[in-house]
Amino acid sequence: MKTQSFWEATTPQRPDYPTLEGNLQVDVAIIGGGITGITAAHQLARAGKRVAVLEARRVGGGTTGWSTGNLYVPVGPYFHNIASTRSQEVANTVAQARFSALNFIEEHTRKYSIDCHFARRPWYFFTQEEDMTSLVEKEAEALQQAGMPAEFVTQVPGLRYESVKRAVHMDGQARIHPLRYVLGLAGGVTQLGGQIYEHTTVLDLKEEEDHCLLRTTQGTVTCQQMIIATHIPIGIHTVQTVAAPYRSYVVAMRLKSGAYPDAYYWHNDKTHHAITTHSTDSMELDMLMIAGNHHKTGQASHQEYQHYFDELESYARQHFDVASVEFRWSAQHYRSGDGVPYIGLTHKGAKRTYIATGFYADGLVYGTVAGIQLADTIAGEGSAWLEAFDATRGTNLSTVGEFIKENTNVAAQYLKDIPAGQVSHFDDIGLGEGKTIEVDSEKLAVYRDAQSQLHICSAVCTHMKCIVNWNNAEKTWDCPCHGSRFMIDGSVIEGPAILNLERKSIDPTTGHLLHTGGKTSGEREINNPIT
Amino acid sequence: MNLIYTAIGFFALAALLGMYLLTFVLRGKETPKAIVFSHGPLAVLGVVLLIIYIARGGPNPWESLVLFVLAALGGLYMVSRDLTGRPIPKALAVGHGLLAVGGFVLLLVFAFGN
Repeated sequence: MKTQSFWEATTPQRPDYPTLEGNLQVDVAIIGGGITGITAAHQLARAGKRVAVLEARRVGGGTTGWSTGNLYVPVGPYFHNIASTRSQEVANTVAQARFSALNFIEEHTRKYSIDCHFARRPWYFFTQEEDMTSLVEKEAEALQQAGMPAEFVTQVPGLRYESVKRAVHMDGQARIHPLRYVLGLAGGVTQLGGQIYEHTTVLDLKEEEDHCLLRTTQGTVTCQQMIIATHIPIGIHTVQTVAAPYRSYVVAMRLKSGAYPDAYYWHNDKTHHAITTHSTDSMELDMLMIAGNHHKTGQASHQEYQHYFDELESYARQHFDVASVEFRWSAQHYRSGDGVPYIGLTHKGAKRTYIATGFYADGLVYGTVAGIQLADTIAGEGSAWLEAFDATRGTNLSTVGEFIKENTNVAAQYLKDIPAGQVSHFDDIGLGEGKTIEVDSEKLAVYRDAQSQLHICSAVCTHMKCIVNWNNAEKTWDCPCHGSRFMIDGSVIEGPAILNLERKSIDPTTGHLLHTGGKTSGEREINNPIT
Repeated sequence: MNLIYTAIGFFALAALLGMYLLTFVLRGKETPKAIVFSHGPLAVLGVVLLIIYIARGGPNPWESLVLFVLAALGGLYMVSRDLTGRPIPKALAVGHGLLAVGGFVLLLVFAFGN
C-alpha cells in the first residue's frame, strides 16, 4: 500500500503561492512553510515586520502535513525526565509554553474561521504492565507540579482494554486538521501583508555583519534576520550533533462499529502506541489512527520497513473492530539530548540566524511555541521561554551519555562506508527494489521501477557524505547520519541536505559510469508525491 | 624502544590506508569514509606514542614528530573540506602524504639507523 498522509488527502483546496523570481528585501526571511515558519511569519507580520516565507515545496507539505493532528501539553520525552536533565523550573516553563501554544491555535482557528476541526478533548496515559506504573505516576506528578490538571483515574473511557494498571487523565487537550490549520494561518499572514513563496528552494544562506543573504533557485533575499524553520536547520550546524533524526509511523483506519473514541491516548507498555481519532470532512469522528514504532532514520531494525506499518495494523485489529485501512504514512522528528527543543539563535556568535528543532514527535505544539518565541524575540518583545529553549545550550553532564550514544551511532554509519557495494550487479536488483552498489569506485543508489527502468544517483548524501539507505516502504533514500531523505530521482525531501543526490548514468554495454560532470542542483522535483 | 616500534606499526598501517585514499582523491572520487576514519585515528595513535616516547627524555626523533604533526594538521583540514562538500586540493593531499612519508623515514632511521 502506497504511503499517503490523511491530511494531504483531505485538504480540498490549497491556495497556490507564487515562486520567488528575482530579488527581495525584507526584515525577516523564514525558510520553511510548516507550522513553525507560518506561525512565526504571522506573529512578525502582526508586529509590523516585512516578512517573507520561502518554502521549497508547498505550505504545510513537510512534516506538518504528515503529523497526527494532536495538540497536547504532555511530551514524548516526559516532563519528569526534563526535570531531571534540566530542572523542574524548565519543565514547568515547557509545560506553560505548550499550554499557551494550544490556546494560541484555538484562538487563531476562531479568528480566521479556519475549518480545521479544532475540538478540545481529554488525554489519557495508561499502562497495562505493572513495571510501567511508576513511569505513569512520575509523569502525572511532574505535570501536576507544572500546574497542569492531570489526575489519576481507574478507567480509560472509549477503550475496551482490560487490566489497566495505572491511568492518568487530563482535560483540555485538542485535535486539529494540521494542514488546513496551517493553510488557514498562512491566509492570515498574507492578510497582514506577509509574503509567501512556494517552490522556492534556498540554496545558500549567509549571516553577514549587518544583514543576511539568502540565495534561492531564482533570486536572492536580503534581510535583517532569518529563521531556518525547516524542522532541522538546512546546511551544517552544530545543533545537528545534539538533535537526532527518527521516523515514526501512522496507520489510519475505519471501524465497523463507527464507535470512535473522542480522546487522545498514550498506551505505554513495552512498546508505546498513540491512539487518536479524527474526522474527514465534518466534526464527526470517522477515522482511527494508531501511531508509534519510532526508529532512527535510515536505520530500520527490520530491513522490511513495511513491518512497522503491519505491526501498527495488527495492534489496531487486536483492540478495535477495524473495517479497513485507509491511509499509511510516516513522519520524521528530531530528538534533543535533554528532551527540550532548541529554539533561538543558532550558535553563540550568531546575531541574526534563528533555528527551531528537536521537537520529538510533539511538533505541532512545539512548532507553535517556536513561532511565537522567535517572533517575540525578533520583534524585541522578549520571551519568558528563551532560556528554557536556548538553542546554544549544547549538552550537560546529565545528557552527555545521550550525546555520546547518538554521535557514536553517526560515526558507526560512516564506518559502514567500506569500498564494497551491497550487490555486485544491477541484475541483482528486483522490480521495485533499491540498493546501493559500487561501480568504478563510486557508491550508487540504484532503484529499479516496475517497468524495469533503473534510476541511478550517487549514494553519497550531499549533507555530510554518509551513504544513504533504501527505505522500501516509502521508496526513498534515507541518510542514517543526520536524517536527510531523497526521492528516487535524488531530489531532497527533507532533512539538512540542501543539494539533491547527484544523478548518474551507466553505459549499458560496458556497465561503467558515464561522466556526468559531477554537478548537482537543489531544485525540487515538482512531480514528487511528497509536495 | 618498544613504543617506537609500536608507533612504526601504526604509522605503517596508516600509510597503507593513506595511499589507498590518495588514489580516490587523485581520481576525483568520493573517499570511502570507513577508510578515512581508520587512517586518521591510526596515525593519531602513532603520534601519541611518539609524544610519550619523546616526553620520557633522552635521544628522540623530534624532527619526525614535527613532520607528523604538520601532516596531521593537513589531514584535519582535508577531512573538514571533504565532509562539508568542498573538493580536496590534490596538491594538498600529495603534500600531506609526502610530509608523513618524510616523518616515517626519519622515524625508521632513528629506530634502525644504528
